[in-house]
Amino acid sequence: MNPAIRPRSLFIALSLLLALALWGSLALGPVSLPLGDTLQAALRLLGLTLGGSELNQAQLIVGQIRMPRTLLGLAVGAVLALCGVAMQGLFRNPLADPGLIGVSSGAALGAAIAIVGGAAFGGIPEAIAPYLLSLCAFVGGLGVTALVYRLGRRDGQTSVVTMLLAGIALNALAFACIGLFTYLADDATLRTLTFWNLGSLNGASYARLWPLLLVTFAVAFWLPRRARALNALLLGESEARHLGFEVERLKRELVFCTALGVGAAVAAAGMIGFIGLVVPHLVRLLVGPDHRILLPASMLAGASLLLLADLAARLVLAPAELPIGIVTALIGAPFFLYLLMRGR
Amino acid sequence: MGVTNGRVSIGKRRLGAALALLAALAWLPGAPADDALPQRWVSAGGSLSEWVVALGGADRLVGVDTTSLHPTFLQDLPSIGYQRQLAAEGILALRPDLLLGSEEMGPPPVLQQLRAAGVRIETLSAQADLATLEDNLTRLGALLGEPQRARQALAAFRSRIESQQAWIAEAQRSQEAPGVVLLLGHPSGSAMAGGRDTAAAWLIEQAGGRNLTRHSGYKALSSEALLALDPDVVIFTDRRLLEADEARQALMRQNPALASTRAAREGRMVALDPTLLVGGLGPRIPEGLAALSAAFYPARSPLPAEATPDR
Repeated sequence: MNPAIRPRSLFIALSLLLALALWGSLALGPVSLPLGDTLQAALRLLGLTLGGSELNQAQLIVGQIRMPRTLLGLAVGAVLALCGVAMQGLFRNPLADPGLIGVSSGAALGAAIAIVGGAAFGGIPEAIAPYLLSLCAFVGGLGVTALVYRLGRRDGQTSVVTMLLAGIALNALAFACIGLFTYLADDATLRTLTFWNLGSLNGASYARLWPLLLVTFAVAFWLPRRARALNALLLGESEARHLGFEVERLKRELVFCTALGVGAAVAAAGMIGFIGLVVPHLVRLLVGPDHRILLPASMLAGASLLLLADLAARLVLAPAELPIGIVTALIGAPFFLYLLMRGR
Repeated sequence: MGVTNGRVSIGKRRLGAALALLAALAWLPGAPADDALPQRWVSAGGSLSEWVVALGGADRLVGVDTTSLHPTFLQDLPSIGYQRQLAAEGILALRPDLLLGSEEMGPPPVLQQLRAAGVRIETLSAQADLATLEDNLTRLGALLGEPQRARQALAAFRSRIESQQAWIAEAQRSQEAPGVVLLLGHPSGSAMAGGRDTAAAWLIEQAGGRNLTRHSGYKALSSEALLALDPDVVIFTDRRLLEADEARQALMRQNPALASTRAAREGRMVALDPTLLVGGLGPRIPEGLAALSAAFYPARSPLPAEATPDR
């Protein structure tokens, strides 16, 4: 496969795209702020004060609303795309997405339990209540993935095919349980559940951000170190083993990394589809399958695209907002189809 | 908009505009001061918006949520989306002094951001009962600077409900309370029936009927279960189902179980505006109750629609 463009030009283009997305995410919104105010407010966040003018509104909007939202979008987009690459590498299939190993359905089940159960039982301590949903989603994603991994193991070997099938079965089971909770839910909790399933970066705050940032840093640091092993895995499991890579350990690490990354992203922003599937695919079409380039490029592209999608989500219907999952799927699905048709 | 507000003098309006301008200029965290009346309102609750309009505050509303559909001119205001899924910056773009909503309003982090931006947040209850309504109207009256008008609206609402109750008591001397089921959505498939703890049940009981369902919330009701309940009256939430004869007949063909209930045989099917079922008691509730009661007790001549709360 001949790369369409050279890696260096791709990185330059992606960096420019990310810079543009960052600028848009900080400078644009339903409240129109003068560009100068936005810049000054952003600089003040870094502790730099230029000019002494009062900037209360700009500081508030840029500092407390747009900045946490931008960081959230950056982290969610990056981690979803990275985990997408990891999954497509593990299953050696460009159609794999993190949902395959149960992390999304598990997180959705956790969220359903938190939303419906929380409304039914009440009496949740003040300190936990705001974090209950995220916590349950994270634990649910991790739990179901652990189960899928456990079911895929036999005699110290992990069978990717068994894992795939176990994932399908457990996804079905998880969605059945979600259906049960949906049935039990009243109108209000039902709508909360529906919206959660569409994802949103709305209401991001620094306090809820740091666990995801931590996980994103860890994944972004760790996955590129396994790029060579992932490349070897492309040839096949036994080939990779003969090349001297510890394939069992690699599989375990990839699954764990994806569960952690996607679990944290979903816990923070709800279900956001198509980034994990489309972005790695797109980047692969541009620069070929070498994971040493694919991983960092997907990370940049995922973050930029999610930020741009969020920008659309908050501007199209202002002052109301569109759930971002709708935007990513609405743009992602036709684009994916286009890629498929063109590749024929 | 001005129609609803004919009594407000020009001078008062100018003052209002000046105050709004002042509030906009002094738009700092912590401001405006608590004793000044909020001038720019965003309402995230259908019934609450209706009350604001009924109490003469229509020209203070600068944005409403998707449940604020009545009076219809509210639909022309900027929409802030669904009340549980508000966006902080979108609302801030409307430069509101006050965000009005029910306990369902959220998500909480967004409310915190708004509060930090100096928007006053008033959370009133959407509970469907008279005590809640009294609290809500008193609060709204104070916030609008129209306490007198709020008291009058409450008294009018109360007296209409009371005369309705008297009317029902009188009607029940000659006719037993009918068994009623309310169906949400199109009943060709499995329609959702209002359970015993819903606003649907409250409306049915208040209108003098017996809600027959025993489940809680809105749950799909199978044809067989509907047949077993055999309601005397069925309430639909879609007027179009009952308006034309063909629609009515098509409905019967699509749902044979419904067709063989007592309600269908005797032609006792009523349409109810579904917006009456959400967001607590609004100013259109007495009217809706009177229409339901009239359908429940067809023999007795309906209560004249006087003493409608001032709108």
